[in-house]
Amino acid sequence: MAEAGHSRKWRMRFWYCVLILALLYLQLLPLQTMPRSWAGPDLIVLFTVAWAIRRPEFVPTLLVAGMTLLADLILLRPPAVLAAIMVIARQLLKRQEPGLRDATFMTEWLVAALALAGIALSNRVFLAVFVVEQAPLGMTLMELAMNVAAYPLVVLVSHVAFGIHKVAPGETDAMAGAT
Amino acid sequence: MAKDRNQADDYIGPLKRLLLATLLLCLFAIFLVWRIDSPRVERFRAQVVDRVVPSMDWAMAPVTGAVNLVRDFQSYQRIVEQNKELRRELQQMKAWKEAALQLEQENARLLDLNNVRLDPRLTFVTGVVLADSGSPFRQSVLLNIGARDGIVDGWAAMDGIGLVGRISGVGKSSSRVILLSDSSSRIPVMIQPSGQTAIVAGDNTIAPYIDFLENPERVRPGDRVISSGDGGVFPSGLLVGQVATDPGGRLRVRLAADYERLEFLRVLRDHGQEQLSEPGGVISSTGSETPEAGDG
Repeated sequence: MAEAGHSRKWRMRFWYCVLILALLYLQLLPLQTMPRSWAGPDLIVLFTVAWAIRRPEFVPTLLVAGMTLLADLILLRPPAVLAAIMVIARQLLKRQEPGLRDATFMTEWLVAALALAGIALSNRVFLAVFVVEQAPLGMTLMELAMNVAAYPLVVLVSHVAFGIHKVAPGETDAMAGAT
Repeated sequence: MAKDRNQADDYIGPLKRLLLATLLLCLFAIFLVWRIDSPRVERFRAQVVDRVVPSMDWAMAPVTGAVNLVRDFQSYQRIVEQNKELRRELQQMKAWKEAALQLEQENARLLDLNNVRLDPRLTFVTGVVLADSGSPFRQSVLLNIGARDGIVDGWAAMDGIGLVGRISGVGKSSSRVILLSDSSSRIPVMIQPSGQTAIVAGDNTIAPYIDFLENPERVRPGDRVISSGDGGVFPSGLLVGQVATDPGGRLRVRLAADYERLEFLRVLRDHGQEQLSEPGGVISSTGSETPEAGDG
């Protein structure tokens, strides 16, 4: 049983990598060469937060750091800033996870919204401290709003496609080995 | 992991915290190096992109093709009116073609009279757009040509008609073009009938604004904007677009290049102009009498 849980953990980590690469790939498709006046949700951040809230063991720190750093480099963001923030956010969310097991979805959503707002805010503050050129504030706020709005959808996709659900009371010890 | 937490916490907890701290420190160091020595890290970034993105190309091409097919299909809906419009435009074009032919003949005659030789070094490499910037905050595209094809940072990229952007970041087989609409793009231009120089600065909209213009009242909407070649960044005389005013009264450039569909871009080879470092260098080939008078 523990063996099965172990292999599932590694399988889900692998799927996390695949998912992030697929999202990067979709974003890079050369379909949108006109400047946009709106910003969609940042799905890479969103999936990482959702998985960190529900199953932190599927998104280990090193993996989060590596994938976000890759996204930073490819999407022309200041390197390693968002990666570091995501690592911290993942750590904080992991600490929340046991308390959230019995919580309603609204509570979880609230925590996610706070986390997403914290990520956006700390990113801006950090870049402002180091006087790095930033995206317009309106766009960041719009992205944040879209992120929060898209969170239930991301959770739904994670649940249906990847079987990410909260740890049920009986599963705790075997680390969801029976699934 | 959690199973052993009670027994192993004493060892694993501090170790994990140490690992986490090291990781954060590493990430911060990467950022700091980027902030201090940006070109080096940007080169590294170009190499990473060069490694990752072209390997996705085989998967990207069919999806992009399919989506464009659907978009084309949507445009069939208004094909009748489009056809009418095209006929009308064709009529106008025929008139222009006549004029152009006459001008071409006249031009050829005049060039012949003057024995002018056009610059043979202004040639181009054509590349295919592999990917866009992938983020709503940056405007750039990735081309499938790179250092292998002799691309150099700073060269100009055009579509068939107008300037699109400049090369910034070259990998072995890919290079990034920062579009004129990107908020970090600044291009020295000349506005044609009045001959004033200005800067075209992107601000994440489709029409970049005109900055550092001395006499805005001498510029009218519809004036041609061409690259001025100041600062040796670009070859001069590339068409950028036309002047337009936005509702706020600010002067902007309606770009000549078709940003809607960037598929193939030409990257102009530019070997720089010869620099005159000494006064009289053109007149006397030696010019070594006054070396200290040169201003570099």
